[in-house]
Amino acid sequence: MGFKNFEGADEEFDLAQMEAETEEMLRLRYLNKDNAVFARTAGGFVSLDIAEGEKGEPEHYDRVRVVRSFPFTAPTTYISIRTTEEKSKEIGIIKDITKDVSKDTRKMLEEQMSLRYFTPVITKIHDIREEYGHAYWDVETTEGPCKFVIYMNSSSVVSLSDVRLLITDLDGNRFEIPDFTQLSAGELKKLDLFL
Amino acid sequence: MNLKFDLPAAQQQAFTPADGEEIRYCSPYDIGADGKMKHDGYIVVTNQRLLIISGQEAETELALADITYLKCDPLVNNGILIARTVQEPEEHILARFTMKHVSRVAFIAKGALLLRDGVPKQVISREYDKTCPVCGRALRGTKECPKCSHKPSVLWKFFKLCGAYKGRLAIIAFLMLCVAVVQLMVPKIQQVFIDDYLKAGKGGMQEITLYAAILISVTGVTIMLHVLRYWMCISMGTKMSMDLRQMLYKKVQILSLSFIQDRRPGELMNRIVNDTRQVRRFMEEAFAGMFSCIISMISVVVVMLTMDWKLTLMSVVFVPIALGLSISFRKNIHRRFHMQWHRFDKTNSGLQDILAGMRVVKSFGTEEQEAEHFRKLTDDFAKIQEKNEVFWASLFPIISFVMGMGVYVVTYFGGLGVLEDRFTVGQLQQFINYTWMLYGPLGWMTFLPRMITQLMTSLERIYDVMDEEPLIKDHAEAVELDVKGAVEFKDVTFGYRSYEPVLEKINLSVKPGEMIGLVGASGTGKSTLINLIMRLYEVDDGQLLIDGVDINDLRIEKYHSQIGVVLQENFLFAGTIYNNLRFAKPDATEEEIIMAAKMANAHDFIVKTPDGYNTYVGEHGYSLSGGERQRLAIARAILNKPKLLILDEATSALDTESEYLIQKALERLTAGCTTFAIAHRLSTLKDADRLVVIDGHHIAEVGTHNELMEQKGIYYGLVTAQLQMQALKGEDAAEATEALA
Repeated sequence: MGFKNFEGADEEFDLAQMEAETEEMLRLRYLNKDNAVFARTAGGFVSLDIAEGEKGEPEHYDRVRVVRSFPFTAPTTYISIRTTEEKSKEIGIIKDITKDVSKDTRKMLEEQMSLRYFTPVITKIHDIREEYGHAYWDVETTEGPCKFVIYMNSSSVVSLSDVRLLITDLDGNRFEIPDFTQLSAGELKKLDLFL
Repeated sequence: MNLKFDLPAAQQQAFTPADGEEIRYCSPYDIGADGKMKHDGYIVVTNQRLLIISGQEAETELALADITYLKCDPLVNNGILIARTVQEPEEHILARFTMKHVSRVAFIAKGALLLRDGVPKQVISREYDKTCPVCGRALRGTKECPKCSHKPSVLWKFFKLCGAYKGRLAIIAFLMLCVAVVQLMVPKIQQVFIDDYLKAGKGGMQEITLYAAILISVTGVTIMLHVLRYWMCISMGTKMSMDLRQMLYKKVQILSLSFIQDRRPGELMNRIVNDTRQVRRFMEEAFAGMFSCIISMISVVVVMLTMDWKLTLMSVVFVPIALGLSISFRKNIHRRFHMQWHRFDKTNSGLQDILAGMRVVKSFGTEEQEAEHFRKLTDDFAKIQEKNEVFWASLFPIISFVMGMGVYVVTYFGGLGVLEDRFTVGQLQQFINYTWMLYGPLGWMTFLPRMITQLMTSLERIYDVMDEEPLIKDHAEAVELDVKGAVEFKDVTFGYRSYEPVLEKINLSVKPGEMIGLVGASGTGKSTLINLIMRLYEVDDGQLLIDGVDINDLRIEKYHSQIGVVLQENFLFAGTIYNNLRFAKPDATEEEIIMAAKMANAHDFIVKTPDGYNTYVGEHGYSLSGGERQRLAIARAILNKPKLLILDEATSALDTESEYLIQKALERLTAGCTTFAIAHRLSTLKDADRLVVIDGHHIAEVGTHNELMEQKGIYYGLVTAQLQMQALKGEDAAEATEALA
């Protein structure tokens, strides 16, 4: 090896830094109404102030991402609050937004989550037409009428539970049927190909 | 992907262009501020402004010059366009859209920023839309929607393609006519036999023998004609798909790497193999059958009309009914069997999953659980299979009954006709036979639309490639240059996507014979720089000069023959080591090959294998280790005595000792030859004449190892970091690997 003479130059410093990174990786900080203040920004996002950070200093974030840890099974608990840059880092976790934060904050965060997650719920199926390996859906959703196309393969319609379906279209949009047994007999017949 | 939609008339009201203002990009956005689906929203970028149009109003209007930040932020199953402006320095949401437009808006945002900066470049996207933005039809890997685009239709191209096989087509057409005539003759012969001999009581043994002989010979002729026709169709289909396959392959090879890399790996393979097979299958199975059906159906109807037009009409009336019924039956059956296939697929993948993860299953002791899971899957499959078989068994006779409806009608009314003496028994028999001929192919005809659509999609995908223009090609005055090895970058800018430069304003002058080490974190553009030297891509801006000649003015093949390349992952073709080594120089002598192998420290391990240089490598062949592959690749590269040698992580899979040996050999070899080397293990580059550090799209540092170490810049940081890692791993590990090698 050609660089023996440089060995050990800043060794200790680097080791310390790696230790610190590992430490940070393992850290789990819960946020609640006592230690975190969320506020709406003029641009329609949410900012976060933590009066007393880990090392006692105040932390401020212009905009934070509000991310569900279990988007399908636990939409209101374990909400991860993250920084917005590409290698998004976790600032902290809200264990239960129905309990741990004020009503206002909860509303604010739920707005952010409904912005982040766009999964219209299918309320009525007008038609599912199958043509050459694709199925064309014409449905009514909670967010308005919608037409979309899915591939005819098993990954397009996924069962999240015995009654709950998640449908992914060609573009990667998702639609949910929370309980397909609630659909009418006619609608079920159209759907039975995917059950 | 279309980045410039036509703004509908209603939305144009919201937009009054100023002087010299024109729309550059336009995309719909389909989620409103209330989170509901929206159908009248558009994002418009002109050369002066960015507008968010909702309905007939411009909701937001920003001067491009005021925008300080513009980005498409992809969220979960939707995206938002975020901006910061001089007036509103806080990030705010401009528009929200579904996944259909996320990528489109990302491109447009980059385009808008380029416009703001006065860069005249129009951003284009090579991605394909998944669904037609106009009619919503699923697009299968083609640029334009077959229904909505107005280019000469694929059908027309198909006819033109068939034009090349006129002779065969004429023979096939003639054969089909013959078949039709012979088929029409059979019932007529029967009629004559029944009426004139059997019923008239004139016939004896002789007539019966004659009749049988005629029938046998007619049947023989029909079979021969069918075989001939089928044979012609197969040979034409095979020829056609072979021609298409070759054309496609040539085209793909000419097309630049960017075309290939923009596509999923299997996709081009699919086009060359599956799509051309689809064409062949159509020619074999459907093409001839289609026309012979039509010909025989028309002639049957004509003959029937001459016999009795009323009865003919009565039997024809049921054709559309039978057709409709059989189509709906088929749909239902298809649905059921699709479901069965779906379950089968699920069972299969479930089984595969469990078997592949058997180690995990056993080590966690969850056998019971998995067995139960699999039992459920097979249960499901068995149930649906049973149901389908029962359904099919009971439905099939019904379908046959329906398909024969016309015949019953003819039998009934024709029978009445015989009783009333309007018909002879022979004529009735003849008529019934014709009716069967009319209804017989109906079931098969219902498959035609599907087959035609399949053919069309395949053709579309084939022509999608054929119509592509290669980005890199020799121009008329390209020169054949004997490379000496001077390479000069002059303000070179390049990006794989038009809006995202990977290299920006690179200036570097390399003397012939110099060895340049390229250093930088991954993703900074080292390999890109090398791709440009190899001319796999063309520079976007600036000039790349080889011996003072613009690289674009060189004849590609001649230039490439003078470059030697060793990559991290080296591809060896299926074949012997010998053939692989002389890949770039087919006329190399055995001595040259041994010398090259010796230089690459490969000779010894090659000779150790039982078959020596004749050892078969590649899939199913002798398995080589990563280091051995690399050594072969080095030998392959140096055999050609290249003037430019490119080493992209060329020795990464080697242990320190053989790396050292090869380095020594390469040193001798690279004496007269300009070398560009990339290595993560920085010690590999210690003999480089100069090291070039690339960081943030630019050349950050240039100099020898010692110079850069003194600068204490990026290179210094990289070297020390690497030494840290080595120290951490410990000397033991290093020694262990060396001992193993």
